[in-house]
Amino acid sequence: MANMPPMQSFPEFIKYLWQRLGSMSLAIILLVVLSVASVIGTVLLQNQDQTDYLQQFGPLWYWVFRSLGLFDMYHTWWFLTILGFLMLSLTSCLWRNVPKMLKEMRSRKATVSAKALKRFNYLKQWQLSSETDTNALQESLRQRLQGWEFRLVEEGDTQYLRADKGRWNKWGYILVHSAILVILVGGWMGAQYGFRGNMAVPEGKSEKEISFLQGTETGHLTMPFEVRCNSFSIDFFPTGAPKEFRSNLTIIDGGKEVLTSDIIVNEPLYYKGVRIYQASFGDGGSDITFKLFHMDGSEAITTAKTQVYKSWIDTDTGISLKITDFKPYNVENMANPGEPKKFQDLGPAVEYEMRGPGLKAVKIKAFMNPFIDADGNNQGSFLMISLSGDKADYKPVALGLDLTNKDEWKLFHAFLRHLAALTENGKQTKEANLEAFKAAMTEVFGDNRPKGFQQMAMRTLQAVNMLPQLPWPILPMLDDFNQHYYTGLQLAQDPGMNVVWIGSALLVIGLCIMFYMPHRKLWLIIKPNDAGIQVSLAGMANRNHLVFNKDFHDLFTKMDNDFASFSS
Amino acid sequence: MTAITAESGFPAMLNQGRISYLRFAAYLGAMAGIAALAMFGVTAYEEDAFLYQILSLKGLVWGGSGALAAAGLAVVAATMKPELLNAKSARNITPWLDGFVLMVILAAVWALFEPAKDQISYDNQSNLFAGRIIMAMNVIFIFSAVSYIAYLFAPESFIGRVATWSAYTGVYLGGSALLLRWHESYLFNMEIGHAPVSNLYEVFILLFCITAAVYLALEKRYQAKAMGAFVMTLVAAGVFFGIWLDSVGQADIKPLVPALQSYWMKIHVPMNFVGYGSFAVACGAGMAYLVRYRLEANGGKSKMLAIFPSLDQLDQLAYKAVAIGFPAFTLATILGAAWAAEAWGGYWSWDPKETWALIVWLIYGAYLHARVSHGWHGKALAWWAVAGFLVTVFCFLGVNMYLSGLHSYGQLS
Ligand code: HEM
Repeated sequence: MANMPPMQSFPEFIKYLWQRLGSMSLAIILLVVLSVASVIGTVLLQNQDQTDYLQQFGPLWYWVFRSLGLFDMYHTWWFLTILGFLMLSLTSCLWRNVPKMLKEMRSRKATVSAKALKRFNYLKQWQLSSETDTNALQESLRQRLQGWEFRLVEEGDTQYLRADKGRWNKWGYILVHSAILVILVGGWMGAQYGFRGNMAVPEGKSEKEISFLQGTETGHLTMPFEVRCNSFSIDFFPTGAPKEFRSNLTIIDGGKEVLTSDIIVNEPLYYKGVRIYQASFGDGGSDITFKLFHMDGSEAITTAKTQVYKSWIDTDTGISLKITDFKPYNVENMANPGEPKKFQDLGPAVEYEMRGPGLKAVKIKAFMNPFIDADGNNQGSFLMISLSGDKADYKPVALGLDLTNKDEWKLFHAFLRHLAALTENGKQTKEANLEAFKAAMTEVFGDNRPKGFQQMAMRTLQAVNMLPQLPWPILPMLDDFNQHYYTGLQLAQDPGMNVVWIGSALLVIGLCIMFYMPHRKLWLIIKPNDAGIQVSLAGMANRNHLVFNKDFHDLFTKMDNDFASFSS
Repeated sequence: MTAITAESGFPAMLNQGRISYLRFAAYLGAMAGIAALAMFGVTAYEEDAFLYQILSLKGLVWGGSGALAAAGLAVVAATMKPELLNAKSARNITPWLDGFVLMVILAAVWALFEPAKDQISYDNQSNLFAGRIIMAMNVIFIFSAVSYIAYLFAPESFIGRVATWSAYTGVYLGGSALLLRWHESYLFNMEIGHAPVSNLYEVFILLFCITAAVYLALEKRYQAKAMGAFVMTLVAAGVFFGIWLDSVGQADIKPLVPALQSYWMKIHVPMNFVGYGSFAVACGAGMAYLVRYRLEANGGKSKMLAIFPSLDQLDQLAYKAVAIGFPAFTLATILGAAWAAEAWGGYWSWDPKETWALIVWLIYGAYLHARVSHGWHGKALAWWAVAGFLVTVFCFLGVNMYLSGLHSYGQLS
């Protein structure tokens, strides 16, 4: 502000401010400030759980950041103020420049004073004899400059031929800078009059309300119609990766079904100005049947029916299961660390939290099918257990037995009984194991030994070592399911969106005009003097001097040749 | 009045007058024909199998008729308006389209070397031929960078020619390898097939080719060979990163996650890399500027100065590169917004990638303004071009590595 002029009056001060607003240096500062400010919101994850922030930064910094609005910084007053300043600045510079530019584009002053001629970037002069045909001179320039506009003015005995290319270049400036304004206005309209939120609709159910984050809180909004999810499905690539998420939706408006349609990611549905997008999915409360294996040696198997998101309590043992999720496919990397990844679908699994008197609460993922290894061997049923309750801590636990086979459960108990009878102080020897297994086989299967009983023996042995270690009185395994998904939809309405697209189109068109259609001006000035006639070729370009430099030199060389034929 | 005049002999003839004009018309017609196939073809437009259709008999018929029709129209138009024959757009754009056609032909030739169908497995992709072409490209680009640097110290025109030609070779190898990879993605399974712009490894190759191509275009027009030492060194550095990506198993063709299954991907991603590539060239020009500035400050006796473009020219070259990159990047960002609007329900969500794209855009916007306004001169602007590219690199790589967001295609896992 060193060069601030003395202020005579308030209006003059306002005028001064207005001009500063439209200055290029302010524009540069605004652009840099805006970009630096934008960095903050990318480093600091936005719109997370407040408790996470508190944990991450501690109380002091949490409050500092929160009061600056850094957890939702692109909507804070100070960020919007910078954008507001950008708009003001743009308006000011357009206001000042547009009339000037329009006038300049219209005017095609052809005459050039001798003094002005010296200031041209490009100038070349020839001295020709007085007999030269000036029309032919002009014609040779016109021939060389296809697609240029020409204007001829004679003033006294001097001829001025002006040639223009890209005369409308300044429209590029006008378009680009107004386009930014248009886009910002469109963005503001969307923020002011639009909405965007999520709803989760279980299969077969309908929903009317969306929820969305509003600063640090959750807001709700009721839609003018209801959305029913008829079905949700996932399609897979042969590699097991998901290929498509598809929801079949029905829109119910005023109690009537008005529209039924499928949506997938990238192909939303449009109804009453609202776009409905496939955003996510999850379990919508699938029916789950558990088989409960009683671990008290009673051999008992009971069943329990429940649903995802519900809790089931066993009155006898006081064990409670809180079902948290169900997935029909569980594609896992089965390769050892260091080997190339190898994905395999392990089949349906249910996740639950198990609590009970005297037990440490654990999170369990129980699979329905036994694990079949790469060689096709049945390795028995298995679980994943997370002692901390964190999904990242899941550890696989091979149970040994294939619990989908009732006979194996029987065999296991028979084996334990025979083993106890055969050995003293429970010491296992190879012979005792074999003997006990044989006896157990005969007890369960009679003389018809099933195929693959050798593997069954391995599994039983493993189970003997494994199952007694589990502290739970019952072992809940997934037995059956009837799956329902919920589809996660995003609903959005943005009345400013088309304004933004119009602004964007103007921006791109404007940029192309600005950069690729530079305004170039050439003058051919033919002026008689004592020695004959003096011919000057002068040019200027408003940008892209590198190209123009080259083009001018090419042109000069050609004109040199052309004029050579006249001067002789 | 363009650089074409500097050429002579056969290539010049091909790029002038009616031959260039007719070819341009035919290319446009072929594109229109293929677009028509996409929209009105007998079997409806199958988005991701489209490359297959283009390279089939059907594609030939539609594209060929388009080309013929357009060439016919062009002849009629030229008899009525002869100056069309010298249209600058035809002369400027046709060589690029020629290059593209050459890449398609190369890719078709490479496809002959593919292993037999029963030898191709998704789990082990190491025998696919594109991998070998890409390795050749890597070597060639590094060789080119070394040659350009050698040219600085030993400005023999032979070394310069070798450098330039190896850079061209690299571009054609890379471009055709990507096309071949597109084809290969369909070999496993029609469902897996997709355009080769879906992960970091693929877009890296695209970036090398675009950077080198933008640089070569400037080199050809403005004889700015010394700049190549800087641009191609950037490319070579990228090549090492690409080799590393390959070595950690990031080079495999993988099916597209549902969010990326959109035609927007095919235009948004390449357009972005026209921006990134141009900014890399601007950075190279900026570095050349700073080096020359240094050499001049040290007394200006270095022999290298003779082959460097002047400071003013380097300044202009950086500007020229930004003038290519800025509109492309603007368009790419807008296309990204359009895609986001279609896939996620909002054109702008302040996702880290989006925000960094905005930051890059603002930085180059500020650069352009700084050029126009007084007070900012060559050296500061050269630094700006270099710093701007560092921000660009962060937008391209850093965001994927350090910040989370929706743009997971480039995630290093
Ligand atoms: C996000 C905002 C803006 C963008 C994207 C933008 C874009 C541009 C571009 C691309 C140029 C052309 C530079 C060149 O030819 O090398 C330009 C020039 C210019 N801009 Fe901006 N601008 C923005 C904001 C502003 C603001 C806020 C002002 C006013 C204070 C401003 C004033 C100017 C002026 C005076 C020129 C020179 C025009 C000429 O001489 O042709 N710009 N702008």
